[in-house]
Amino acid sequence: MTGVPKTQPTGSDVRRTNSGAGRALVAIYGIFALAATARASVQLLTKFEQAPLAYLLSALSGLIYIVATITLARGTRGSRRVALVAIIIELVGVVSIGTLSVVDPEAFPRATVWSVYGIGYGFVPLVLPILGLAWLWRTRAH
Amino acid sequence: MIDALAYVVVALAGAAAIWGVVTAVANKPPGKAQLLFAAGVEVVTVGQSIIAAAKLAAGFRPVELATTIGYLIGIVILIPIAWLWANAERTRFSGIVLAVAALAVLAMTLRLLVLWTPAA
Repeated sequence: MTGVPKTQPTGSDVRRTNSGAGRALVAIYGIFALAATARASVQLLTKFEQAPLAYLLSALSGLIYIVATITLARGTRGSRRVALVAIIIELVGVVSIGTLSVVDPEAFPRATVWSVYGIGYGFVPLVLPILGLAWLWRTRAH
Repeated sequence: MIDALAYVVVALAGAAAIWGVVTAVANKPPGKAQLLFAAGVEVVTVGQSIIAAAKLAAGFRPVELATTIGYLIGIVILIPIAWLWANAERTRFSGIVLAVAALAVLAMTLRLLVLWTPAA
């Protein structure tokens, strides 16, 4: 009995989030990091006073996407944990902002990527955190 | 922006996206022709952004100037980054990465066509 195979040294059997299908996921996160951050920057710089709350949430969504993109792309043990937190915030954000924007459209005049569950982006913002969590689950340590 | 050129970008980006999905479904990494095609889409996209920048410099003012400039810059960085990311680990998912970038270029070009109306 030689025991544990050498290809799986103890402690490093985490499947990397930046490999295989994870690369496609990182690409989609990257697009949203760019889209949300750019959109928020324009909003904050040119019309902040019109809807400060919506625009700050817009900036937050951009930041979350940037963190998720970088941590998923790094794929280390530490970055997985940060990615998990970011993606959970993302899911809570898109569901709560989405619901608020439906209940109270006045407060969110289609101004963030998360408005109406990301309808302006083909609802990808709603699907993306679910895919992200599923991917973290699939690549978890055994 | 030249409308006809924008539609060429849309068509080329659409073709690149479909090509990426096709190789992914076939479980193959993108081939040389596919990568060259993506580079070609990038060249046309850069050309469009340069023409648009020249028109802005010449005094054209779209309704949402800041957003328009953001799109014109953003649209040219997507394919090069996706290209590098797709080639760093060549699997079927490299094609998906190229397709995602191409779809973003397509969507952004369509949005630019709408944004490119003169401020009243």
